[in-house]
Amino acid sequence: MEARRRLVLAVACAMVLVGPLLLGGYPLRVAITIMLYMVLALGLNIIPGFCGLLDLGFVGFYGIGAYTAGLLILKLGFSFWLVLPLAALNGAIWGILLGAPTLRLTGDYFAIVTFGFSEIVVLVITNWVSLTRGPMGLPGIAPPSLFGHTFNGETPYYYTIFGLVVLTVILCRRLADSRLGRAFFAIREDEVAAAHCGIPIIQTKVIAFAISASLGAVGGAFFAAWFTFISPNMFKFWESVFILCMIVLGGMGSIPGTMLGATILILLQETLRPFGVLRYVIFGVLLVLMMRFRPAGLLAVERVRGEMRPLEHERPSQARRPKPGEDQEVPS
Amino acid sequence: MFPQQLINGLTLGSVYALVAVGYTMVYGIIQLINFAHGEIYMIGAYLAFTAIAVLHLPFPAALLLSMASCALLGVAIDFVAYRPLRKAPRLAALITAIGMSLFLQNIAQAIWGANTRPFPFEAIPKFFYASAFSLVQVGGATVATVGEIPTEVAARPDLTIVLQISWLQVVILTVSLLLMVGLHLIVHRTRIGTAMRACAQDQMMASLVGINVNRVIGFTFALGSALGAAAGVLVGVYYNAIFPTMGYRVGVVAFAAAVLGGIGNVVGAILGGLILGLAEALGAAYISSEYRYAIAYAIMILVIVFKPSGLMGSPAAERT
Repeated sequence: MEARRRLVLAVACAMVLVGPLLLGGYPLRVAITIMLYMVLALGLNIIPGFCGLLDLGFVGFYGIGAYTAGLLILKLGFSFWLVLPLAALNGAIWGILLGAPTLRLTGDYFAIVTFGFSEIVVLVITNWVSLTRGPMGLPGIAPPSLFGHTFNGETPYYYTIFGLVVLTVILCRRLADSRLGRAFFAIREDEVAAAHCGIPIIQTKVIAFAISASLGAVGGAFFAAWFTFISPNMFKFWESVFILCMIVLGGMGSIPGTMLGATILILLQETLRPFGVLRYVIFGVLLVLMMRFRPAGLLAVERVRGEMRPLEHERPSQARRPKPGEDQEVPS
Repeated sequence: MFPQQLINGLTLGSVYALVAVGYTMVYGIIQLINFAHGEIYMIGAYLAFTAIAVLHLPFPAALLLSMASCALLGVAIDFVAYRPLRKAPRLAALITAIGMSLFLQNIAQAIWGANTRPFPFEAIPKFFYASAFSLVQVGGATVATVGEIPTEVAARPDLTIVLQISWLQVVILTVSLLLMVGLHLIVHRTRIGTAMRACAQDQMMASLVGINVNRVIGFTFALGSALGAAAGVLVGVYYNAIFPTMGYRVGVVAFAAAVLGGIGNVVGAILGGLILGLAEALGAAYISSEYRYAIAYAIMILVIVFKPSGLMGSPAAERT
């Protein structure tokens, strides 16, 4: 079984590696977009997929990464290869800054705070005109170069993002199998039980958030170097929803599922391009239908499938409510 | 300037309050952040626009028609999207709500186009834009006038306008006030209102005493959507601009208002709406007009982090 999986993986990698020799300009661009979104979706997946928290502000970190990279390359002439880890670091810093005070919140409240954060990121990059040129965006970001060769055409970007996808997948897999990853899953299954097993809840969640944020920022840095132009309206809320759709479609918490989701949605977006805004109508319907009929996604992780099963018992929020006649809880 | 900003803020705030009430009622009963509520507000504005531009209805009729249609739309959304997920985890329902919002926003864009549209000018009552009350300073004296500023005063070179309220602002404030009083009466003086409060307290118990919980939830959606639609129409006329993404930002601010007031608490939502309206108007005037929208987000984040129960909510233990 293991040997067969390795063979399949090797064949897939070989196919991806020879891709640029067979594909022309446009399909190659689509392939790069798919892989970029795989990195982003895998990064986001750590929060809702591994830890069970809904993060609606992921695009904030994507934007922070893109602007970190764009500004460092444009204003200070840094090399892309130096900028990539710096962007990841900056993403992680903001992830910690946002996560530390807010990660004790759960559910809807956390979702709303992350959403507010990403909106503020967009407002800041729109209005800090002296640094970011505001709505005019940052044009002319120098393409990366490697061993004296400046990137030209799509092929070098293709291999770069492929490398990033491979690194991200390895990172996510190792993470899922690590002590830390187990802690994430424990928090997702039952936070109270996890805390009683000695898992430092807040600290673990902040680490998850930092990793997720830095992956988002890496995606952003690659995007800035690849597209050579960034502007605030590329980092709007719906981008977060789009990435969330990928995870939901593929299967929350599942690494191959998330990658499948990214592939399907980017291909859909490209093929439905002639339909204009109607494709977003389709995405909306897709989200609703997925939640209705297959809430755990196409490649469902067993655990998530169990979790998404309808609850038999009452919601905890109601169970905890003090009954009339009982002593009222004193708010702590 | 200050009194003027106060009035502008209150006008804006009363609209936020109307939308916030819809969020807070739905959350109070089914613990769902109805992301699609902002889109209802937008569709309400478009329906009134269509009623005026295509059906040539007078403004009040268009307002009522839009409220009624949106009430039905709200019930339909609940029936199609949320009702099957009543027993599902809240994450699933929240994602559904986001999907619904994406769907409605883009459907509206497909139907009415992406461009900003003004209301047909001739359909809006003329007096809306006339001055209802003004306070001006002329040569050291303060003159208060009901109605237009007299021409001989308006012509004075040393005239400074301290405060000017248009009839439109009066209409918005009055309609909002009437709707909120109406809402209060429904929630506290009718059978269905009693049932709503019962469901918000304990759905299981409510169903055991014979309340049809799903019908009550549907009614809540209808009520909230009608108020949201009214807000959309009023704002559409106030700024004389409607566009498919208009519901998005107002939706967020209104949600922030609901959180600020203590989610689930109707009076709190109204208070939160007024506070955020004032904060936005005063913030735009005295702090930074670029970051006026960030003020609501910042207040929302601070409230959630430091006092998740809001100003008038029940203890935070329930929701963390």
